[in-house]
Amino acid sequence: MRTRALALLGVVAGVCLLLLTLQMRGHAAGASDALAVITTPVQTVLARVNRATLGIWGTYRDWKNVRNENRRLREETQKLRVEALRVTETDSENARLRRLLALKESLPLETMAGEIIAREWGGWVRSLTVNRGRGDSVARLTAVIAPEGLVGRIVDVRAGSSVVQVLTDPTSTVGAHVVRTRTPGVVEGEPRGTLRFKYMARDGSGIQVGDMVVTSGLGGLFPGGIPIGRVRAIDDRGSALFHYAQLAPAVDFARIDEVLLLTGGATRDVAASFKNDG
Amino acid sequence: MRTFLAIAVLGGGVAHATVGSALRIADVAPDIPLIVVVLLALRRGPEFGCGAGFVAGLLQDLATGGLLGVQALTKAVIGFAIGALGGRLRVSQPLVQVPGLVLLSILEGLARFGLLQLFHFPAPFGELMTYVVLPQALYNGFLGAALVLALAWAEAAKDGTS
Repeated sequence: MRTRALALLGVVAGVCLLLLTLQMRGHAAGASDALAVITTPVQTVLARVNRATLGIWGTYRDWKNVRNENRRLREETQKLRVEALRVTETDSENARLRRLLALKESLPLETMAGEIIAREWGGWVRSLTVNRGRGDSVARLTAVIAPEGLVGRIVDVRAGSSVVQVLTDPTSTVGAHVVRTRTPGVVEGEPRGTLRFKYMARDGSGIQVGDMVVTSGLGGLFPGGIPIGRVRAIDDRGSALFHYAQLAPAVDFARIDEVLLLTGGATRDVAASFKNDG
Repeated sequence: MRTFLAIAVLGGGVAHATVGSALRIADVAPDIPLIVVVLLALRRGPEFGCGAGFVAGLLQDLATGGLLGVQALTKAVIGFAIGALGGRLRVSQPLVQVPGLVLLSILEGLARFGLLQLFHFPAPFGELMTYVVLPQALYNGFLGAALVLALAWAEAAKDGTS
């Protein structure tokens, strides 16, 4: 066995040296040609296998890259969505604050901006909590407004916050009149969260759906001219002394986030500060 | 046996031509046919190692377009030597495998250089050793050890299932 192996080594070495010698003496072409007859098909197969393997490998790497890219893009899309939501929210807040600032600057009264930090919407009580309190020298019964109109009044002042009774609270009443007809009356909150305008039948014959109702300024609690709502329906009670008109509130109390507190008294009419088309 | 030899050697050639380029690190590629020859020689003896080395080397010579017979001879000698010494080497230890393959790769490089010198082929020894032989020898050592471990693991798994 060992002899056979040695003999094989000798043959192999001899063949190799012969090949090398032939090549060095210029007979390389013949030797190469002879070998090429056997090896060219093998090389061809190897090259094809190589190309195929590289192709598969390349496809796999491409697929892997695409998958990673896909994952990265998904994460980026998610981040951008969150970012877009934040931008939209900031944009919306910016617009609200601009309107509030515009109102604050146009009002001939001393005001203080506040942020709604809580809502009570149970039905028995309808109130908002604003982040201004005793520390900000907020007084009880201060009027609270928004760029769209009247929100309510402060009914409880605490150390760092105050509770605002919303117009739709069942115990809320506000002196008001219809802008177009000057019909006086009282706006009352209802337990179901709506507003109604109570007026004397003899004064209110001309009231129509769509009429704007604003604060009258009587009583000194609220300045005159602040929008409260529009007449949505008229409840004609025939020969009764008082008639009622259902109002659609000017302010969306469920969505309001920022308000103005009228801290400087309520003696002047502020109708000019609100877009009031009657 | 001849079929196995052909498959193993051709497989080494294919692996060298395909995976070899993918395994290139800092422009250094492993000599996969040499590793295959060493593994075959350790398992099958000097005759097998010699034949495998000759065929694998000849294929490499043809593929690279160099002098035909240089790698065929060096790999045949390496295959024969490893096949003959295989019984006395404790090749199951990675501490033997890595330096062993590094040493073999360097010896193969030296033998190739010697042959080329014999046939008056100009090749700068220092540069060849620094940039070609030594880096490839180190790479061969680690890759060969990894292959030996993988084969041992595969065999153990096969024995466990059968």
